[in-house]
Amino acid sequence: MPELRKDPTIGRWVIISTERARRPGVFFDRDDNTEEEQDCPFCEHKEDQTPLEIHAIRSAGARANDPGWKVRVIPSINPFLRIEGNLNRRGYGLYDVMNGVGAHEVIVETPQHIANIADLSAPQIELVLQTHALRINDLEKDPRFKYVLAYKNYGHLSGGGRIRHSRSQLIATPVTPVRVKEELVIAKKYFEFHDRCIYCDMIRQESEAKARIVAECEHFIALTPFASRFTFEVWILPKKHGCDFAKANTQGYHNLAVILKNVLSKIKAGLNDPAYNFLIHSAPFRRHSGKGHQWKTIEEDYHWHLEIIPRLTRVAGFEKGTGFYICSIPPEETAKFLREVPI
Amino acid sequence: MGELRRDPVVGRWVIVETENPTQPEDFDKEDHTPKQEAKCQFCYGREEQTPPEIEAVRPKDSRPNAPGWSVRVVPNKFPALRIEGELNKRGVGIFDMSNGIGAHEIVIETPDHRKSMADFTNEELFEVIKKYKSRCLNLSQDKRLKYVLIFKNFGESAGASLEHGHSQIIALPMVPKYVLEELEGAIDYFEYRGRCVFCDMINQEYQDKDRIVTENKDFISFCPFAPRFPFESWIIPKEHSAHLEDMSDEKLYHLACILKEMLYRLKVALSEPSYNFFLHLAPIHYEHKESYHWHIEIIPKLTQIAGFEWGTGFYIVSTPPDAAARQLREVPAGTHGAEARKN
Repeated sequence: MPELRKDPTIGRWVIISTERARRPGVFFDRDDNTEEEQDCPFCEHKEDQTPLEIHAIRSAGARANDPGWKVRVIPSINPFLRIEGNLNRRGYGLYDVMNGVGAHEVIVETPQHIANIADLSAPQIELVLQTHALRINDLEKDPRFKYVLAYKNYGHLSGGGRIRHSRSQLIATPVTPVRVKEELVIAKKYFEFHDRCIYCDMIRQESEAKARIVAECEHFIALTPFASRFTFEVWILPKKHGCDFAKANTQGYHNLAVILKNVLSKIKAGLNDPAYNFLIHSAPFRRHSGKGHQWKTIEEDYHWHLEIIPRLTRVAGFEKGTGFYICSIPPEETAKFLREVPI
Repeated sequence: MGELRRDPVVGRWVIVETENPTQPEDFDKEDHTPKQEAKCQFCYGREEQTPPEIEAVRPKDSRPNAPGWSVRVVPNKFPALRIEGELNKRGVGIFDMSNGIGAHEIVIETPDHRKSMADFTNEELFEVIKKYKSRCLNLSQDKRLKYVLIFKNFGESAGASLEHGHSQIIALPMVPKYVLEELEGAIDYFEYRGRCVFCDMINQEYQDKDRIVTENKDFISFCPFAPRFPFESWIIPKEHSAHLEDMSDEKLYHLACILKEMLYRLKVALSEPSYNFFLHLAPIHYEHKESYHWHIEIIPKLTQIAGFEWGTGFYIVSTPPDAAARQLREVPAGTHGAEARKN
């Protein structure tokens, strides 16, 4: 019998289908990409093929936009939003419009032509995560921005394009995005009612139940959510409460790098290197100027986390029409499968 | 510079690229050559391979579950939800769940394995749409069910696993999230202005004109001002109506005409893309029919949903709706007219 399950952090129902399940491993064709290494603009010594860098981790004395870097941040060649100009909020009959102001940055995660971040070393991934935090904290200084999403598209099916070089992206938006706002509203309501963080409660319950845990360490837990939208969806949450990824302590990025590498390596090895997205949900900027922000208890009620979405099935008309998702293998089974993948 | 635009019903912001719109020839092309015909369970002579039919359009002298039909409704062999049993809602710690009660039916639209809906005659599509309505009326009598979604996936990348033309009906024990967002947005608007937001939208589209693709006596089709996807289009009844159930046969025939025309225009303008469409109808026994206006949303599958969209609910639309509408309008009327006359 299939089950309907509700994600308590966002109020979304999903269908956990049991009859439609296919065996892990025979899921989907390997995501094929055709690009050749010599055409890649993100490799070391090709610095002149990208826009000028915004930031880079490089040895002392090395010049900007030269070789010798470890992680490099550049503006997107094809930005969705532009950094110049003002918002110019306006009405157009029934509709509301504003200019597409924002920032769109690409974080090149390695100078070598490696596709999957799972294949980088944990210290290298730590540098990437630190770079994300640094850029988010810098973008916070721009008062036009309310939110920054850090995310990755790996493989063509995930929207990652044809170039395989490992990279992630940051987009700063002038409004708090609706999916984030939904999480914030629910976390705030839960806190008003229980005086506890809903994510902390979820971590406690999952730690006792154990069935949905993929991996854990002293500081982080990786689990398949009870009401997963996607087959093999995995969330990584810090065990210690904190609302802001970019304000985590430095030690945190080391431990996050280790568990992220572990989980992504399991997904790569167990599921035949599928395309995936991951994204970090963190608190919006909280500037205390002017009216202040509307999220008074956010430090206590919201809990940042990282969501990994392997792209194994297609999003079809039902999902697009309802926002309901059909997950074809129960998360207890996918967690068990991933726990047992040797890496 | 791109623009941020807000959908007036659900309040969702989207990013619309207005300067360098993606042209139809820039999207990936998909091959729809039939490959499954030799063992297709939806073809004549294989009726016993599906569960027994629920309804069919067939000559009086033909037997159920035998050849001779022109439209056939069967239960899904691998249903996402099951029709048998009592709804059993329960909590597990902080999680809510229920058993998966619901209906999952398949409408086999034609016995012709190779015929896609864009090439149907108006009369053929009229028969399919009448089945949509009769299934809605039938499922509305089940007290456990709250909502009926009718949708179609065409093409592998839009989630269709079987190539023989079919649509699907899923009846749910709760109103799904995206529909709820529309219903709530429409009620808010109605309380504030005393009018239906969709009726106001139709009026503004008539004034602006540039997003309208086509119209007939009872329906209008346009590309919405704040779409989620490039070349997204809606078909909406001109006269206020909350549900397909309220439509006369004459109106359903005009619906068939405009749906066929829109699918044909998409096929020509975008070299037969994969697509999804779904009907957004009021829930079963809905009380606020004055505020809600049913419609069809047609979404060609041209781009990948990536990490930014998953993480934010923000959509990036690379072809502005006025450019998309113009390209759909410019599909030679002669071609479409000739096709219609030939049929």
